This record gives sequence, C-alpha cells and structure tokens, in this order.
Amino acid sequence: MEVVHVDDLWKKFKIPHERRTTILENIAGALQMLAGKTFTYEELWALKEVSFSVAKGESLGVIGENGSGKSTLLKILAKILRPDKGKVDTNGRIAPILELGVGFHPDLTAKENILVYGTIMGLKNSELKKRMDSILQFAGLERFRDAKLKNLSSGMQMRLGFSVAIETDPDIFLIDEALAVGDFEFQKKCLSKFKEFKNEGKTIILVSHALNLVKEFCEKTLLLSRGEVISFGETEAVVNGYLKRVQAA
Amino acid sequence: MIALPRYTELVKNLTIKEFKLRYRNSFLGFVWSLLNPLAMMAILTLVFSTLLRAGIENFPVFLLPALLVWRFFSIGTSMALWSIIGNASLVTKVYFPRWLLVLSSNLANLVGSTLEFLALLPLLLALGMKVSWLVMLLPVVLAIEFVLIVGASLSLGALNVYYRDVNQVWDIALQAGFFLCPIIYSASLIPSRYAFLYSLNPITRIIESVRRIFYHGALPTAWDLLIPLLSGLILLAIGYAVFLKLEPRFAEEI
Repeated sequence: MEVVHVDDLWKKFKIPHERRTTILENIAGALQMLAGKTFTYEELWALKEVSFSVAKGESLGVIGENGSGKSTLLKILAKILRPDKGKVDTNGRIAPILELGVGFHPDLTAKENILVYGTIMGLKNSELKKRMDSILQFAGLERFRDAKLKNLSSGMQMRLGFSVAIETDPDIFLIDEALAVGDFEFQKKCLSKFKEFKNEGKTIILVSHALNLVKEFCEKTLLLSRGEVISFGETEAVVNGYLKRVQAA
Repeated sequence: MIALPRYTELVKNLTIKEFKLRYRNSFLGFVWSLLNPLAMMAILTLVFSTLLRAGIENFPVFLLPALLVWRFFSIGTSMALWSIIGNASLVTKVYFPRWLLVLSSNLANLVGSTLEFLALLPLLLALGMKVSWLVMLLPVVLAIEFVLIVGASLSLGALNVYYRDVNQVWDIALQAGFFLCPIIYSASLIPSRYAFLYSLNPITRIIESVRRIFYHGALPTAWDLLIPLLSGLILLAIGYAVFLKLEPRFAEEI
C-alpha cells in the first residue's frame, strides 16, 4: 500500500528584482507600470516534474546539494506549501519535524507548548495530559516542565520537538536534518525509536546530508538537484551515484 | 468552517495561549484591562463634564459602556491583525486551518471584554446606571458585535501577511472610528441630513444598543440589532473569501 504518492509535482517561487511589500510601494509600482515601466522577477522552479511514491513501512531518504529542493518537497508533503502543479496524495497522519523545532512559542512553557502542538496533531487534551510525563521524560526535560521555551537550549527545544512528535503517534514522519542538533545519546535514542516505528509499519521520510544515516536507515533514496529528480531507487545505488557526481564536479 | 467541532480542543488551547501571552510578563496583568478604561473615563469626564460642560447628565455611565464595546472591537481587530504573522513559527512548521488562529485571537479578546464588563458592572451600578432586566440583553449585543469582529479580523489578518502597512491603515481607521462613533457624544447631535448615513455604521448601532440598556434603561430598537448583524454576516462572508484566497501562500510570504 502506498502512503505517499507524488505525481508530476512542480513548485515555483517568484523572486522579484524589486520587492514590494507595502501598499504604497504597490501603488507606486502600479503607477510606474501604467507609465510603461516593466517589472521583472525571476522565476525559480524549486521543484520540477517530481514523481515518486513511498510504500507503508518504507523509509525514504532525500539527498542533494543545498538548494536542490529537499526542504521545499518536505514542506509540500506537510501541506505547509501548496504546489503549482501536480498531485500529492498522503495517507495517514503526518508529523513534520522541520529545521529546528516543530512550531513552539518562546514565551510559553514546555507543558503549554506540548498542549498546543499535541492538539494541532489531533490529540485530545485528556490524552495529552496522560502522555505528558512520558513526553518530558523522553526529552529528558522533566525538570523543565514549567520553564519557558526561550530559556531552553536549542538542543533541548529540538529534543522536546522530537518527543512530542513521536508521542502523538503519527503514521508518517517528515524529518529535515533535525537530528543533527541533538547530542550523541539523544540521537541514539531517537534512532532506536525510529527503528521500532519502522517495524510497526510507520513511514519515515528523512532529508539529510549524513549519507551514512541514510544508508543505515532508508531502503529507498531520492536524489534531487536543482529541483529535478536525478535518481530514485535503492539507497545503495542512489548514494553511490551521488558520490560519483560530487567527485566528478 | 463546518469542520469546527473537530477543532474544539485546539481552538480552546490556542485561545488560552493567546490570553496567557497577552498578560504574561506583566506585573498587574488583567488589572490593566480595567485600569485603562477607568483612566479614560476619568480623563474624558474631566474634559467633557467639568471643563467643556457638554451638559450630558451622569457622563460616566453615558461613556463607560460605549467605551467598553469600542475596546471590544478595536482591541479585538488590532490583535487579530497580527494573529497569522505572530504565529509564524506555527504557520511555517505545521499544517492546520489557519483561520483558527484568527478565531482564537478573537475568542481570547471576547473573554477579556466579558471580564471587563463583569468587573465594571458594580461600578456602573454605584454610579447610578438604570437597573433592569434589560442587562440580560447584553450577551446578545456582544454576540452580534463578535460576528462583526471575526468578519473584519479574517480580512485584516490575511491582508497583513502580504501588506504590512495594513496595520498602519487600520490604526488610523480606528482613531477615526473613535470620533465617528457616538462614544463621547450623543448620536442625537448629528445633523439630520447626515443622520441616515451615520446610522448605517454597525458600531454606532452597537453603542446605541448598550447605551439604551445601561443609560436610558430602554430596549434597543430592532434596527440597532439588525444593522450590525447583517453587516457582520456580510463582513464574515467577505472575510472568509479573502482569507481562503490568500491562505495558500501564507508560509511563503510570512
């Protein structure tokens, strides 16, 4: 059974040469346009003609150089960005863990943030209160339950993000480089947790530059470059192909 | 908006979060929400009753209910203006219907305004408001005003993501509104040729309603309730359409 299916996905970002964000700038721009001035912007296709699918219980690695579209792809899967063209089907509850944190508020305490994030993920308050201790325990933050998030280190915030996401029991994990922030011990703890999840038939999509991690963890890998799929298939072959490309360049 | 029941717990948590953040790190907290209108009442009473001798009998009771419904609208909309941008960390990291942020901001403000009314009711009684069963109508009037606030907030919150000066424009609009609504004067002073236009302002009608209840001890007229209700529903429809149109690119523009 496929849990993620992406078909001919395109995503465009507009990069204006003159950025207009205020009403006045827009009015001025419109007047200049009437006077015959043309405004130019660059179209950046962050993703072009991307197609792939992930089966239930499978793990997918996404690799490629900076700016190749990996994070954009993850954000589209998480429904944070909308594609310009193409179809994205996902089946099951998605927990995105994107660049540092899951969307915590700095002025709320760890506990308050867990409640807000947990209900976004579709859990009831009563369930969350039951799981509160185990969330804090997994993150190793029992003592910081009532500390404001801004007073926690970035590693601690990331650990809390992981713990909440794990404890909300999603079907699909989207992970963007986030593991790199945690200390060695926490990384180990997370990896064994994710292996457990894999055995339970959950799906993990991992964006990473740590090729060893991808090799260890993902059966399949997607290699992106400048928004296009270079190769998609068995991890070993795709990673080796990537290394060859890098050395040739 | 039909999916609301699914999100009740989320809306509840977001509302509590908004309410807490509003008063967090402040020494007096909610007390400020009472001190502010009380200070305004004292200053305006000094200016209009003592210095200018405007001749309005029992000016504090004339003023305070109007001031409170004005605060409900102005604070509600100007807080909701930031409800998307202020939650950038959520909007760029996880998906849920974004209008819940606007609604939660408005609900936090509803809680605040209700508490203001409840806390200042004894003062109004002491100052000699007209006591009658009509006070039971206050929730109806506030509910109608709430529809207006949500409608306006949806457009404002969404537009402010794309054009940051919506905030400046709304600031001026609210300043104008304070004087264009009958807060510090009586609507009966408006010359008759402007009276019709003037009476179409839904907030004017809301103020007239609470003034009838608290100051005159009279029933609000049907138009006093219908005009704001109809405007509210229209604003809500427009606001929701604007919001849905702009929502897809929030995470890119924020």
